[in-house]
Amino acid sequence: MKLKNIHLENYRNYETIQLAFPNSLNIFLGENAQGKTNLLESIYVLAMTRSHRTNNEKEFIRWGAEFARVEGEIEKKERIFPLEMAISSKGKKTKINHIEQRKLSDYVGALNIVLFAPEDLSLVKGSPQGRRKFLDMELGQVNPHYLYQLSQYQSVLKQRNHYLKRIYETKKTDQNFLDVLSEQLVESASHVLFLRYQFLLKLEQHAQKVHQKISHGKERLTLSYQPSLPIAQETTKEEIKAIFLEVLKKNQAREIAKQTTFVGPHRDDLFFLVNEKNVQTFGSQGQQRTTVLSVKLAEIELMKEEIGEYPILLLDDVLSELDDDRQMHLLETIEGKVQTFLTTTSLEHIENKMKSTPDIFYVTNGQIERKSESV
Amino acid sequence: MQYPTPIAKLIESYMRLPGIGAKTAARLAFFTLDMKEADVTDFAKSLISVKRDLHYCSICGNITDEDPCDICKDTTRDRSTILVVEEPKDVMSMEKMREYHGLYHVLNGVLSPMDGTGPDDINIASLIQRLHDEEVTEVIIATNATTEGEATAMYLSRLIKPAGIKVTRLAHGLSVGSDIEYADEVTLLKAVEGRREL
Ligand SMILES: Nc1ncnc2c1ncn2[C@@H]1O[C@H](COP(=O)(O)OP(=O)(O)OP(=O)(O)O)[C@@H](O)[C@H]1O
Ligand SMILES: [Mg+2]
Ligand SMILES: [Zn+2]
Repeated sequence: MKLKNIHLENYRNYETIQLAFPNSLNIFLGENAQGKTNLLESIYVLAMTRSHRTNNEKEFIRWGAEFARVEGEIEKKERIFPLEMAISSKGKKTKINHIEQRKLSDYVGALNIVLFAPEDLSLVKGSPQGRRKFLDMELGQVNPHYLYQLSQYQSVLKQRNHYLKRIYETKKTDQNFLDVLSEQLVESASHVLFLRYQFLLKLEQHAQKVHQKISHGKERLTLSYQPSLPIAQETTKEEIKAIFLEVLKKNQAREIAKQTTFVGPHRDDLFFLVNEKNVQTFGSQGQQRTTVLSVKLAEIELMKEEIGEYPILLLDDVLSELDDDRQMHLLETIEGKVQTFLTTTSLEHIENKMKSTPDIFYVTNGQIERKSESV
Repeated sequence: MQYPTPIAKLIESYMRLPGIGAKTAARLAFFTLDMKEADVTDFAKSLISVKRDLHYCSICGNITDEDPCDICKDTTRDRSTILVVEEPKDVMSMEKMREYHGLYHVLNGVLSPMDGTGPDDINIASLIQRLHDEEVTEVIIATNATTEGEATAMYLSRLIKPAGIKVTRLAHGLSVGSDIEYADEVTLLKAVEGRREL
C-alpha cells in the first residue's frame, strides 16, 4: 500500500500544502514545534478519522479557519483512489473515491496504517484504557465488523447506564426494558470479545517471533487478555452471552445503586508477559521497549496477512528513543517493503543505517521544502 | 449598525430552524421583507395553523387535522394488522408505497434513556390498549434499524407476544443503521415482504 500524495488545507499550522511521495522512505526533518508531528498526524487522521494525540478533533482546524481538510491518493491492490476527510464545526465528512461514507466502519480500513509514537512506549506501563484503545484502533482497521460491533456496544452501554440512573432516581424498574438493554449489550459484547481473542492470538504469534529475534532468543513474549467476565480464549459467543447475562442479573441491584454497568469489554485489560512475568510490573525499561517494538512490528506483519498488503508506517520521533540494536531491527524489518514516514529533529540516528535514499522534507513553521539528497 | 427590532426578531426566528445559520437567516429575513404582504400573511397563517389545527390522532398517534385520522376511520383497510413506526413521516413513506393496507401506530419517539425517553414517554400504552380493544392478529414493528429502534422493537415484542399476537419485524432490505425515511420504495417493499417474526 502506498500514499502517493497528500493535500492539506487549514490543517493545524498548515494553510495549504501539497506533497508527493514517490519514495518509500520519507523523512520530515525540522526543529521542535515546526509541524512535523502535525504532518504525520494528518496522515493518521486520513486513515482513522481521529488522532492518536487528542480526542478534541476541533484542534485539527487551523486557528481562525472554518474547516480543515486532508486529501490523499492511495495505491492499494493496483488501484489508485483518493481519500478525503474534512472537519468543520458541523462535524466530520469522509469520502472514498469522492463518495461520502456516512459510517465510520465503511471508511476506516481504506488506508491501513501503523503508527509508532513516543506515547506508545507507555502502552505497557500505562493505563488499561490505553491498552483497550490500542486494541480497538488496530483491530478496527483490519476488521470493519469489529468497529461496527464496538460502536453498537458503546451506544447500548451508554443507554443502559442512563437507564440504571433513571431507575435509581425514580425507584421504578421496568424489568422488561432493562432486560432488553442487557440482551442488546451481551449480543454486541459477545462479538467484541470473540474478535479480540482471535486478533490477539494472531498478534501474539507475530510478536513472539519478533521479540525472540530482538532479544537474541532469550525472551518469550506472550499476550494475555484479562477479561472482567469469567471467560477464556475458548469460550464461544453463545457461552459469552449466557455468562454475561448471568453476571448482569446477579449484579442488578448493585448496578442500580451505583448507576453503572460493572463488567464487560469496557473494563478489560491486556497483559504483556515476558518469560511468564508481567512486563508492566517486573520488566526493565529495555524489556518494556522491546515489547512495544515487537508488538508494533507484529502489527505490520498481521496487517499484511489480513489485508494482503503491507500498511503504511508512521514513526514519530521514536528512533531516538530506541538503542542502536533496536533501531537496526526496526529499519531492517521495514526497508524496501513498507512505505515509511518518520519525523526527527536530526539525521544523526538515521545516518549509515539506511540502504536506500530517503526523500527529506524540511519542515519550518508550517512550510515545507523538499530535498532529495543522500544522507 | 443594529438591525431594526422586527428584522432582528425575524432573523432570530429563522435561526431556530435546523441547518440555518446567521447569514442565511438574515438573507431569508430580507427576502421576507420584499415579499408581497398577502404571501407573507399566508405564510404566517400556515405557521400558526400547523400547530393550532394539527392534532395527534387519539387512536394511532399520527398527526391529523381531524380526530380520528383518515386511516383509522377508513373501513376498507385491513384492521387485523397494525404497523408500528417511530414518526408520522414514516407513515407517509409507507403510504407512498401503496402496498400496505393495514392500520398504523405512531410511537412519536423511540426508547432512548440517554435522551430521557423511557417506555412511559412514547405511545406504547395506547398501542397495548388498542390490542385489547381491537381484533388485531399481527403487529409489524417498523422502527428504524438503529440500536434504539431495535431496543424498542424488542421491548414491544416482549409486551405483545404473551397476548398471542403475531409480532414481526420489518428489517430485511433496510441496511443496518438506516432510517425508513431515506429508504426508497423498492427497498421498503422488500422490507415488508421479508419481515421476520420476533
Ligand atoms: N489548530 C492549530 N492551528 C495552528 N497552529 C497549530 C494548531 N495546532 C497546533 N499548532 C501549532 O503546531 C505546533 C506543533 O507542531 P508539531 O506538534 O507538529 O511540532 P513538531 O514539529 O512535531 O515538534 P517536536 O519536534 O517538538 O515534536 C505548535 O507550535 C502549535 O502552535
Ligand atoms: Mg513532534
Ligand atoms: Zn389514527
